[in-house]
This record gives sequence, C-alpha cells and structure tokens, in this order.
Amino acid sequence: MMITTAQVFTIISIICAPMVGIAALVLTLAALNLSLGIRRLYVQLLALIFDYATKIKRDKEISIDSNASSDEPPTPLPPSTAKNKLAPTLEKKNEDNPAEKTNSSIHSFDRRSQDPLFNSALLLLYNSSLRDIIDCTRQGLEAIVDDDVTKRFTSAEEMVVWNLLTRTQQQHEYFSMRVTLLWFLGFCVRYFILFPFRLFLFILGVLWMLGSAVFLQYFPAKDAKLRFGFYINIVLHRILSRVFSAIITIHNTEHRAKCGSICVANHTSPIDVIILSTDNSFSMIGQQQGGFFGMVQRTLSQTANHIWFERSEAKDRHMVAEKMREHIQAHNNLPILIFPEGTCINNTSVMMFKKGCFEITEATIYPVAIKYDNRFGDAFWNSSKHELFQYLILMMTSWAIVVDVYYLPPMTIEEGETSVDFARRVKAAIAKQGGFVDLEWDGGLKRALPKADYKAEEQRKFYEMLKTE
Amino acid sequence: MGSNASIMLQQEDLQNICQQTGFTTKQVQRLYSRFKALDKRDCGFLIREDLLCIPEVNINPLGERLIDVIMEDYGENNKINFKQFIFLLAKFRGGKAKSLTTEFNTRESKLKFLFDMYDRNHDMKIDRRELLDVLKMMVGGNIHDDQIATIADHTIGELDDDGDKSITFEEFCNTLERIDADDKMSMKFLS
Repeated sequence: MMITTAQVFTIISIICAPMVGIAALVLTLAALNLSLGIRRLYVQLLALIFDYATKIKRDKEISIDSNASSDEPPTPLPPSTAKNKLAPTLEKKNEDNPAEKTNSSIHSFDRRSQDPLFNSALLLLYNSSLRDIIDCTRQGLEAIVDDDVTKRFTSAEEMVVWNLLTRTQQQHEYFSMRVTLLWFLGFCVRYFILFPFRLFLFILGVLWMLGSAVFLQYFPAKDAKLRFGFYINIVLHRILSRVFSAIITIHNTEHRAKCGSICVANHTSPIDVIILSTDNSFSMIGQQQGGFFGMVQRTLSQTANHIWFERSEAKDRHMVAEKMREHIQAHNNLPILIFPEGTCINNTSVMMFKKGCFEITEATIYPVAIKYDNRFGDAFWNSSKHELFQYLILMMTSWAIVVDVYYLPPMTIEEGETSVDFARRVKAAIAKQGGFVDLEWDGGLKRALPKADYKAEEQRKFYEMLKTE
Repeated sequence: MGSNASIMLQQEDLQNICQQTGFTTKQVQRLYSRFKALDKRDCGFLIREDLLCIPEVNINPLGERLIDVIMEDYGENNKINFKQFIFLLAKFRGGKAKSLTTEFNTRESKLKFLFDMYDRNHDMKIDRRELLDVLKMMVGGNIHDDQIATIADHTIGELDDDGDKSITFEEFCNTLERIDADDKMSMKFLS
C-alpha cells in the first residue's frame, strides 16, 4: 500500500493540530495567569493513589514484623546531646591568637608540692578533663552516627508515604504485585506521556524566549522595552513552570519585592529561579559565561538590566558590592535576586548566609521562604550525584513540583548591627516561616572541610577550663 | 555500580545482625542508610576521609584519634565495611537493663574503647607518652609542652598503684568508676 503525499500531510496535520491547540492554550493561560485547575486535581488524585500503595506496603510490613522476635521498644527521645555540643562559635572569638597570650596562672603546676589539697585539686582537674575527653569521644561517635550537616546535602530521608518513584526508595523490595503494577503504570505514564508533553512545552518556552528577544530588538524606547520585558519574562517563566508541572502557591503577595531592592531566598534547586519569576521579575547577578550560557545571558540582558561581571571582577568583593549599589540606586531597576547560602541545600534547613549582600546598608531586603512538598517530586539538586542535565530530566519525569512561596515583610539593617548579625536575623526569619532548621554551618561544607579555626576554638575552650581549675 | 557496591541489606544478614548486636531492625536500617550516605564513592566501605569530612568530627579535637581507633582496631587496611561498622556501634548501646545487654555492649567494652583511645601500641598500658599525646590533642597549641608534661606526670603519679609509671587497664577502670564513664559512653540510637 503506497502512502501518498496527501495522506502524509493529513497525518502530520492531525498530529500537529492538537499540538498547536495545546500550545495556544498554554500560552493564553500563562499570559493571563489563569489555571484550569487540572494540575491540582491531578495532584489530589496522586495523593490518593500513594496512600493506597503505602497502605499495602504497611500491611505487608506488619505481617513480616510480627513474625520476627519482639525487639527493644523504639526510643521516642532524640539522641542525648551534651550541653556543650560542638558548634561553630567562631564569630564570637577574640581576634587575638590565644597561644600568644602569656598566662601567669599555669606556673602553679610547677609547684612540686606535697600539699594534699593540691593533689586532690589535681585529681579533680584530671577527673574533669577526663570527663571532657570522654565527652569528646562520645560526641565524635554521635557525629558519626548522625550529624546536622551531611544530611542537608542529600535528599531528605525516606518518606512515610511512598510516591511510586524508585528513586525515593532506599531499597526496592518486592512488596506485592499490586504495588509493583502501580509503579510500572506510573513509570509508563511519567516517561511516555508526561515527559514528551513537558519536553514540548520546554521547546515552546525556548521559542518564546528567542522570539521575544528578537521582537524587543525593534523597540527603540528603553522604557517601553523594560515594561514589556517585565511582562514577557513572567510569561516565559509561567510556561517553564508548566514544564515541571509546578503548582505554586504564593503567600503574602503584599510583600512582593519592589524595584531597587534585594530579594533573598533559601536555595534548593535551579528551579527556584523559575518559581520566583512566575510572580515577579528579577535582575540576575552572576559571572559572565561563555558559549551557550553566555548567549542566554546576553539575550536576557536585552529585556532587563542584569548584573554580569567578568571573572576577574568576581574575586573583588568591593567591585561587586559597588555594582549592586549602583543597580539599586537606579529606581526603576528590577530587584536583585540572591541566594546567600551559595549552594543547594535539601530544603530541611537553612545554612549560613554569606554576608556579601547584607553589607549594602542602603538596600531593603525582601526575604522569601521557598518550601517544597516532597511528596510529588524531590526538587533538591544533589550536584555531586547528578549533573544539571540529568537533574532536569529527573525533574521532568517526576509527578509534580508542589511549592509554597512565602513573601516576608521587608527588612533593613538596624543601627549598630553588623552585616553578619543582619544576615543571621534574615536567616532566622526565613527559617521560622518555612519551618526549617536554622543552622550556623556553612553550605560550603558540602565540598570543603571546616576551617582549622573551628578546631582551634574547641581546643582553646579546653585550655581555658584547665587554666581556671 | 559494581557488584560489590551498594550492597543491599539482605533479610538474613539483617536478622543475624539484630540477634548479635541487639539492635532492632529499624535501627539497623537507619544505620545502614547512614553508612551509605557516608560512603560517597559507593564502594561498600568507608575510609578515613569519609569520616573526616563530617564537620562535627573534623572540628572535634579528638576526631582524628577517634578515626584512628575505628580504622585500626575495627576495620582493616584502612577500610571499614558495614558489618564492622555496626559491630563497633553496638558497643555503645545503653545497656543498663539485663535484657538489653549482649556480649558487645558490656561496661568493660565501653571502657576498653576509651582505654584504646590512649593506648595505641596495644600493650595494655597507658604510658607517659600516650597520655601526653591525648592531652596535647585536647589543648592544641595553647600550652607549652613542659607544662602538659607536668600535668601528665602528676596524673600518673596519682593513678599508678603498682609503681610501673604507667596506667594499666584496671587502674584506668578504677578512676572511671568514680565518674560513671560507661553511662557517659552510652548512646541512644533512633529507630
């Protein structure tokens, strides 16, 4: 049977028509900021399915457990932490090197005294230093079993309700035919139905971006360009958010970041930028890259004023701060978006905020807390485990990304407050709103070891104790 | 991922470990997740660097010594696998009640671990040198060597009962009894 050209064209148009239709629909919805509510229904349906699957799993588990011998009752208390648990207190440390301090009290140990009081004091000293040694040992062991930091750089622990993604299971055990069937069904739906659709939307988004860049070239007036640019940017990100089936709920829109300010948020994934940009347009700040990314940066610069600096300038903190200051002082510049943690954290905690952007005293800071709901897809990017490209594929084959964005009231630095304290205050506010653990540890610990200063601090504390005894 | 790596915890292994160590299945599974999280290269064993990059261990003055003890006494060839790991941790289960004690978490074994933190040549005695080493690690650069030496000498003088200028395990245990050391060395394991 020969297929004529006419038939080929008919087939192509049959396939294309719905695609064009969907594209038009998505564009309209994005432009008008409407939602058909399909994603929310979809997510509710998923929740029911997950509960069902988990119920089967739990029933199986109970039957296995009841066969095993009865064990120690589970301890409901958290692991005991000694009061002087090791934590970085470096900022409070005196800048002087304590080793150089001459201390006169140590010479008391030179006394070769037979004084029984002295000997018992020594024994007391030995006992208390022994206690410290024991505590140190135990704290070290406790840190090996569980510490506050390393678990922030991997996906959060196994969930109570399994969401039918093998990637979230620690061990894929064969539970029952029904669950495995559900998983397989889910796999097919995600990879063969959702993924192609999302890929299509992604291409649409890229086309929109390129098209709008070309379109804006022809706008002579800078003002009009910026106004259109703002709107176009938001539409672009709304399309992109549909690529990940993102369900975004924004709270407290009255605190949306205004022009000429700095917007600060906790960082979990590259998608954070897309999510925040569905509601507001931002100026990006970053290093000028080459190649494809560099072209993207130049394209984006057409629509708004972004801050790109050269590699050599990146090292110079003053230059960066100056550029930021200039940007803020021009009143119709978009707010600068900054992630002070400097790296992706797994959305259970907020780590140390780098003080760089908090040093700009004239700026108003608009904090934002981004909280992901892990049930439908884990948004955390573990850069040591996945490459960016791999990560994006994982995101596009998850069920959905459900996220709550909380805008917080603006903050400014107070009289007499240091930038470090200000950074801490903003961090605490974000942690409180998002329900995160507020940690002082540096996100840089993902890849680097702690500075030697911290250990020296611990040793200094022990030395102080010896001195006073 | 090779055949060696990401060894799943088999059911029989699990039961075995639970029986011998006294941990519950959930505790073992949790410790297994932890082991895998620390095993970044995914090869089924931990090396010094894996433990040393835990920030709280890294800034602990005794962190390196602790890792020495773990690697040399409980692992082999500078590697420790999960079985060795969990048998080590089994020592530190709280074991006051009779039902919770196995051969691993006796009072003796906890105190012996502490003793091993000092006694690196395994001659069952803590001599002046070994005591000095630990004290130096605790204070870092803050005290002069002769001052620590004085403290060490006085300490040995006080604790040495049999006059051999070193502390035996028995003498060590006697001191530790006064401060309830085995209680301090017990850890709570979450399930």
